[in-house]
Amino acid sequence: MKTSRKSLTEIQQGSPEASEKNLPKAQQRDSAGLIAGGIAHDLNTILTLIYGYSELALEGLDPAGENYRNIKKIIQSADRAKAITGQLLSNDREPDQARMKVPVRDALRETLEFLRPLVTDRIIFREEILAHDVCVSANPVQLYRVFLNLARNAIQAMEAGGGTLTVTLDTRNGDDVSTLPDGKQAADEYAVIRFADTGPGMDGTTASRMFEPFFTTGKQNLGTGLGLSVVSEIISSAGGVITVTSKKGRGTVIELLIPSHG
Amino acid sequence: MPGVMIVEDDLSLRELLREALEKRKYTVVTASDGREAMLKFRPSVIDIVVTDLLMPEEDGLSVIMNVRKIKPETKIIAISGGGKAGPGSYLNIAKTLGADQVFSKPFLPSELVQRVREILG
Repeated sequence: MKTSRKSLTEIQQGSPEASEKNLPKAQQRDSAGLIAGGIAHDLNTILTLIYGYSELALEGLDPAGENYRNIKKIIQSADRAKAITGQLLSNDREPDQARMKVPVRDALRETLEFLRPLVTDRIIFREEILAHDVCVSANPVQLYRVFLNLARNAIQAMEAGGGTLTVTLDTRNGDDVSTLPDGKQAADEYAVIRFADTGPGMDGTTASRMFEPFFTTGKQNLGTGLGLSVVSEIISSAGGVITVTSKKGRGTVIELLIPSHG
Repeated sequence: MPGVMIVEDDLSLRELLREALEKRKYTVVTASDGREAMLKFRPSVIDIVVTDLLMPEEDGLSVIMNVRKIKPETKIIAISGGGKAGPGSYLNIAKTLGADQVFSKPFLPSELVQRVREILG
């Protein structure tokens, strides 16, 4: 089987930062900060509208009714987006301080539950939960964001022809992990989260670049292409690894290994 | 009824805040930027100004300074969604210039209305 397999370290070695060697680091950070601030400003205005009209829509509704619950979910989604724009604007991102023990199964199920009403009947979700109690040390908002980005990517890959997204949760002993970057010490145990789609798959070039900031094939509706680069950063900061296996015509499998906690 | 001026460059948000305040019987005047705000500002009508900080033409910081010159007792609420220096910096400057209250976007319009009510007493 012809595959394109990249470790996180290999993906990061191809990042734009490495190609902008002539720019002072401080200038690169300032530019990135300007972009992030501008995006966050516009997003925060839009979020205020979402909150405002949701609030108006709730007036007069029966709290036990379906419409009330659906609008509450809109507000919950806006809360998550608010947390993300807050991170964009934060000059002192200290992700370690915001970490906690997060049950992975719950985060995965919440992601799929959020996405289920948004997809057509041609796209099927399958869950394979083989490790029900595994937890990781992570910021729950960031973890949700990772799962959401990967699931959305898979869904978008299958939009044209339909297909199945299989989400698997399992554990793996640290001794059995062979994809760690050189010099990185293995944890005792890892949570293994796999997103497998039956979409068209990717060629080697696309697979190797998919986690680069601003990279987009143009076929996706991912806006600026920041989503997957943020995914790789979040997983890396959690001590984890991402591997991508893809073949044209055979779909894509993205596997996350994150040290388990507790 | 007390008069509120809303200074916000986003049309949809401007109208949402107008609707939220008019529902509570406030007299509302809107402006899309600082320049328009100062053309429309009437000391006899406006008791409180709610201004976004980052706007084209003239920004909210100049609105605060100009309003303070014309009618110093006007109450001012500054709002911001972020930007070059992050929401913290712009909002802190707004406080230094005399804003009575600062709000970071996103917020619930009902929270803003409640704050207007509290400030005006």
